[in-house]
Amino acid sequence: MAWYDEDSWATAAFAPKGSTIAITFLLAVLLPILLHQFIYRKATPTTLPCFLLIGPSGAGKTAFLTLTERKAVAQTHTSTAPSAIEVLLPEDHTPQSSHYRSPGDPAYERSRRFLLNDTPGHGKLRHFATTQLANPTNVRGIIFVLDAATVAEEAGLNETAEYLHDVLLALQKRYTGATTSKGPKEIPVLIAANKMDLFTALPPHLVTQQLEKAISEVRKSRAKGLKDSGAALSGEEEGLDEEREWLGEGGEGSFEFGQMEEVGTSVTVHGGHVIRGDGADVRSWYEWIASHL
Amino acid sequence: MLDTFEVLTTSGVVLWSRRYSPVGPHIINSLIRDVFIEERVQPQAEDAGSKPTYRKEGYTLKWTTAKDLGLIFVAVYQSLVHMTWIDKLLDNIRALFIGLYGEQLKTKHSSVVNCDKFAPYFERQIQDLEGQSDSGFSAPGTKLTPPSSADNESADEFDPKIPPLQKQHKPQHDTSADSTPVPTPDTSRPTTPAQSHLLTGRAGPGAKLSRRGKKKAAALTSAPASSGDEASVKRKGKGSAKKNRVWGDFGAEEEDPSMVLDYSQSDLRDEAPEGEALAEVNPESWGSRTGKGQFVLKDLDLEMDQIIAEQNAKKETSTSAVSGGGLVGSSLGAIGGLFRNVVGGKTLTEEDLAKPLKGMEDHLLKKNVAREAAVRLCDSVKRDLVGLKTSSFTTVEATLRTSMEKALAKILTPTSSLDLLREIQTVNASGRPYVLSIVGVNGVGKSTNLSKIAFFLLQNHHRVLIAAADTFRSGAVEQLRVHVRNLQELSKREGGQVDLFEKGYGKDAANIAADAVTHAAKTNFNVVLIDTAGRRHNDQRLMSSLEKFGKLAKPDKILMVGEALVGSDSVAQARNFNQSFGPGRGLDGFIISKCDTVGDMVGTLVSMVHATGIPVVFLGVGQHYADLRGLNVGSVCRLLMS
Ligand SMILES: Nc1nc2c(ncn2[C@@H]2O[C@H](COP(=O)(O)OP(=O)(O)OP(=O)(O)O)[C@@H](O)[C@H]2O)c(=O)[nH]1
Ligand SMILES: [Mg+2]
Repeated sequence: MAWYDEDSWATAAFAPKGSTIAITFLLAVLLPILLHQFIYRKATPTTLPCFLLIGPSGAGKTAFLTLTERKAVAQTHTSTAPSAIEVLLPEDHTPQSSHYRSPGDPAYERSRRFLLNDTPGHGKLRHFATTQLANPTNVRGIIFVLDAATVAEEAGLNETAEYLHDVLLALQKRYTGATTSKGPKEIPVLIAANKMDLFTALPPHLVTQQLEKAISEVRKSRAKGLKDSGAALSGEEEGLDEEREWLGEGGEGSFEFGQMEEVGTSVTVHGGHVIRGDGADVRSWYEWIASHL
Repeated sequence: MLDTFEVLTTSGVVLWSRRYSPVGPHIINSLIRDVFIEERVQPQAEDAGSKPTYRKEGYTLKWTTAKDLGLIFVAVYQSLVHMTWIDKLLDNIRALFIGLYGEQLKTKHSSVVNCDKFAPYFERQIQDLEGQSDSGFSAPGTKLTPPSSADNESADEFDPKIPPLQKQHKPQHDTSADSTPVPTPDTSRPTTPAQSHLLTGRAGPGAKLSRRGKKKAAALTSAPASSGDEASVKRKGKGSAKKNRVWGDFGAEEEDPSMVLDYSQSDLRDEAPEGEALAEVNPESWGSRTGKGQFVLKDLDLEMDQIIAEQNAKKETSTSAVSGGGLVGSSLGAIGGLFRNVVGGKTLTEEDLAKPLKGMEDHLLKKNVAREAAVRLCDSVKRDLVGLKTSSFTTVEATLRTSMEKALAKILTPTSSLDLLREIQTVNASGRPYVLSIVGVNGVGKSTNLSKIAFFLLQNHHRVLIAAADTFRSGAVEQLRVHVRNLQELSKREGGQVDLFEKGYGKDAANIAADAVTHAAKTNFNVVLIDTAGRRHNDQRLMSSLEKFGKLAKPDKILMVGEALVGSDSVAQARNFNQSFGPGRGLDGFIISKCDTVGDMVGTLVSMVHATGIPVVFLGVGQHYADLRGLNVGSVCRLLMS
């Protein structure tokens, strides 16, 4: 039976038969739908964008997390485990990516959803944060929460600056160690100076100033400090670990947050407070999140 | 006299709390820090019969955890108060909470648990348990002679602060006070207006009544003693009558409370004498004996018992499932267990872990970790893992390994930063030289490591004075002199300035050290390094002189040198030296010397940190002045696990 025979498939396909019409009709209707479904599924990310909450213990990370999740602060204690919580950007902020979407659009609603990853800030538990930093998947930004009142004191300032230094250095290493020529996706940092409600708190511009100064100090003393035991103990040839990396422009002079731009990290400082009698003021933090969502 | 009860998650969010009097958040924070994170305070094992306790600022904290859900249940109460039923409360509340909200807790990416309705359950538990313990107490309470005045005072002191509900529990501790024949306050109480502000809410009168009930019981047995008390005479008269009626006399004002009262009373009657467990109490009796409106409560009790029983049963099956029932069951279980061991998703029990843990312990011992430290690490890992599900495609061994790595990293990571240069800067800024002294047993390399530190400081252009406070061993001063000469030679190249301060032999070391510090301040040295005589850590006489040394020289930092080679002795060494400086002062850090000679057997680090909770600051890795290193926690952990 050749294809040009009377009852061959080719003839049947062009004949005015009921089945042919039905098939054609179904194809015409279903194909776009399937195609749409397929592309739609592909395009929408299966994982939510996420923001990392990092900072020394007692800064108010968990407090901010609960505020964002339930619009009211829950009581918190020192965290011992990280947690990832799905939250919605508050109504009065529009995510950067959905500026032209109308509020009714389901994609708009979806774009306001993100994950907040809280990490414990205690000195012994920072590995939770550093492992996430070493391999940030879907991390849109890092929110470094600090207590603006403890930063007013020497000890608190040093601890905070050291942690921030390590975070920034990790980001820089990630950038300089990248294999692609384009460099990895930028990860901006928000320094959220919390507890502005306390009268001992430093205002944001002073926080910036003090932190920059303290980070310069940290960098200086790290440069002078002893090498660590890594290579010596594992019996490797010394000198392999010689090339240490310095934060900022070669680690010379004084450090400024602006220097981080070069390695794809913009640093912004905003003040706010999660708790006070008459409610929280974290608008500027949400704005920052919105602009990176 | 529970002050606070909290249910919180490991991620730090308080899910539910009940506070009777304000307790600062720092109390629970320090529990979390000291016990869970830094493990500075060792909780007793749970099978010691009771839950572990932790004390802070006059409070006692007891807790229990639900590991798989990441929950911590904490009860806080005043240390002065002796509470016997807290353990039971913690267990019951855990069972209840998990039973009621277990599903909600498992939702991903959410910290919200809707547990507003938990309060009634909690209240009922408290009432039940208090009721039980009350009845248990009443008998001995009656035999009590009047308590010491101190006791009375402390009880009274808390009185006004104690919120209504606690009142209910008061009898337990007040019995003694109340059963004393002091008529005035007792008799006046029912009529004083004060009661209205003291005893507010529905629980108030209940409390009052149960107190009375207690007293009645007291009156029954110790009648003569309280015969002067008008009220107790009256009660005595009715003593044999139905308790309900007695209560009616006093609690008639409100209906609700009398009901509450009845409950605890029925507990008292039904349970205590038979010594039944809570779960076994026949709920019917509660329902039938009380008057109108109790059905709600009855339902609650029924539900509560059910949940608790369910949870207990679940726990039992999960443990018995492992041991397996019957031949087929056990072999099937074994196969399933094996399969899950490979694929993951296996709930770990103590038996599963026993063997791999033993292996892990041996491994650590081979790495020169002291037995004590190895056992503790294994225990902490076990505590971490029992009740946990292995994640997919990980074996028990792999899970154990990662957990052990984590435990090692946690124990070795210092709590705060150890930047020596920064500290020197801060101290110098206050206008005095920075004083660092080094202690240790004989022959571990104190002088060598001191010189290494001096070299490091010279590189950073500090002016260093080395004080020879080893006036005991012959040749010690000369040895230091050689070092100083070498360092002076090097300092020409490296910068800085170094000199030796010595007073020969036989003098008192503490005085020499103090002199060195004053000398340094005068002659513009900004760091003083003090070498001390080596001493056996179990030599009482020499060790005791360290206290004086600490007081006179006032070192900013005291480092102890320990040899990497030393085995199980390390724990005792570290501990004794840490305690030798008297109360309020201890070691600030360790220098582990001769690390280059032990290869991967760096267990001494872990043993010393384990014994004291004090971090390792430096590692000596060779013969040269430059062979001093900071600690790299990651690499040490890798070496230990390799
Ligand atoms: N006054 C004031 N207190 C705050 C503010 N934000 C948080 N706090 C308090 O700070 C304490 C610590 O807050 P957490 O959120 O638990 O701290 P954290 O950063 O999560 O700390 P870790 O979990 O230990 O890393 C809590 O007692 C909060 O009540 C604020 O804006 N103002
Ligand atoms: Mg937290």
